[in-house]
Amino acid sequence: MSKNILIVDDEPDMCWIISQLVQSQGFNVVTAYTGEDACLKLAKGCFSTVFLDAKLPDMDGFDVAKYASLLKKDKPSVVLVSGYYYQDDPVIHQAVADGIICNFLAKPFTNKEFINILMSSQ
Amino acid sequence: MLKNVLENNFKIQFEMLLNVIPSSVLMINRQLQVLWVNENFLLKSQRSKENIVGRFLAEVFPLVILQSTGIEESIFNVFQSGVPLKGQKMTYRAPGIPFRIYYYSILPISSEQIMLVMEDVTEQFRLSEEVRRIERQLALVVESASDIVLSTDIDGHILTWNSAAEKLSALSTQDVLGRYFYDLCDPYQTQEVRQILQRMKTSNATHTTEFNLINHSDNGKILISWVFSPMKDDFSKTVGTVVVGRDLAERRKLELQLRQSQKLTALGVMASGIAHEIRNPMAICSSSAQFLQEESISKEFQKECARKIQTNIQKASVIIENLLRFARSSLDTEMIEVDLISVLNETIELVVNQAKVQKIKMQMSTQKKIILVLGVPGLLQQVFMNIFLNAINAMPNGGTLDIKVTTIGDRVNVRINDTGIGIPPSELENIFDPFHTSSPVGQGTGLGLSICYSIIRQHLGSIQAESQLGQGASIIITLPFI
Repeated sequence: MSKNILIVDDEPDMCWIISQLVQSQGFNVVTAYTGEDACLKLAKGCFSTVFLDAKLPDMDGFDVAKYASLLKKDKPSVVLVSGYYYQDDPVIHQAVADGIICNFLAKPFTNKEFINILMSSQ
Repeated sequence: MLKNVLENNFKIQFEMLLNVIPSSVLMINRQLQVLWVNENFLLKSQRSKENIVGRFLAEVFPLVILQSTGIEESIFNVFQSGVPLKGQKMTYRAPGIPFRIYYYSILPISSEQIMLVMEDVTEQFRLSEEVRRIERQLALVVESASDIVLSTDIDGHILTWNSAAEKLSALSTQDVLGRYFYDLCDPYQTQEVRQILQRMKTSNATHTTEFNLINHSDNGKILISWVFSPMKDDFSKTVGTVVVGRDLAERRKLELQLRQSQKLTALGVMASGIAHEIRNPMAICSSSAQFLQEESISKEFQKECARKIQTNIQKASVIIENLLRFARSSLDTEMIEVDLISVLNETIELVVNQAKVQKIKMQMSTQKKIILVLGVPGLLQQVFMNIFLNAINAMPNGGTLDIKVTTIGDRVNVRINDTGIGIPPSELENIFDPFHTSSPVGQGTGLGLSICYSIIRQHLGSIQAESQLGQGASIIITLPFI
């Protein structure tokens, strides 16, 4: 059975792009447009990886990441995908050091970069 | 015998009379000897009668007085001509008492006698000196003031005009005396100034306003902050107007710098937000372009990618355009006649794409097609832009942004309603304060509405906010129209 991947982004086109990339590698995709929806889906489902936008209309991406890191079982790898931060941003370093996220991908990215991160986080 | 008695009586009465009058009287003969003197002179000179009567004038008055007044020569002249000499000034000081000032007259009585009458005017002199000193002091205060101080009569003719007024208008007091004050102001504002002066006739309150004074030498306009006060006489009757004006150039320069630096600050704060806004569509374009490079994709997928590239480039370009418009400096501060409806339409044009993206419907209704106001178009646009963007921000899930323009009396009302989240009552009071913001850190500087407030005040208008939490908000701008 193929693994489930959760995509959280308020921009439908962005979700569409990531879905295409994830599906091309044979994974199942679940999409959430808001932080609240993401938390609900995290609580119910079982995901190997979450691709998470930093700025959501209702919540900050880091709060969703924190919620995911507190899950009792099947903790997913959280990858922050954002145009709001840059690669060596101290905020990102801190979040990785704290174990809230496991990786960061800056927008815009190459499809190859994305797939490398997707595969390495499995 | 009887004649002698009568003559004697008459002499006594005459002497009594001369002794009670509050002036000094001396009778003097051709040889300049004192024949008679009254009590008042004895009192003032601190001398006895014996010490004076029969003496020469040179023994009665100090030499310095005789020399400075030339009184001996004057007496001689009166004897010669028989014409009285009146109203001469003399300063006389008897030993042990302070200086006194006298006005004296030399009156011919007969060919052998003249009468020297001296009136003590020390007190009157001191009072008039005091009055002159106070007048000089007041004039000095008005003249030295860096503010314009002028007064007009009840009809608005200029009565006084200080040096600050001369400097700023390049018109001397001589040039303006008797002219109507409003004729020296900006022709666009003549009517307004006339109305204020008219109002002063019946008002007890001061009136504060801003309008331009024309500099006569270069025809330049100088923005002045004016205070009009009714001028009352001793019976509280209004007899004119006192007008005090302060050159706002320095303050305006500071405000301009402040607005520019606020813009830069806002740009800095917005940078991360803008990066996020632009990198999203960039990421979508980038990935879609990479998909297109793959050979095995379907026609359908290809089309979808192209569509996504197209719409997202559009999105990014709208963001950049808005940014450019925001950053463009509004150095122009000249008030001109401008159609408020055009300003509103142009501003709506700027934000309508942004609104569409957020599923917000924008609509405007107005009673009149053209409403002229006196204003700086760039600044008015900055105000409406700010309020529209605030309203759009308050409607993350879409809604309606409704603009209603109505005119009441001599004022135009622009009511901007949104159907957004509303403003909590606790925040409603201070939304026009600088640095007050309800936006998350990084999304607003809190300066927007305070800039709107200062701009609208500069246009002699007012700005208010009404809201009920969860039921949207209204911003009401009122401006005077021409």
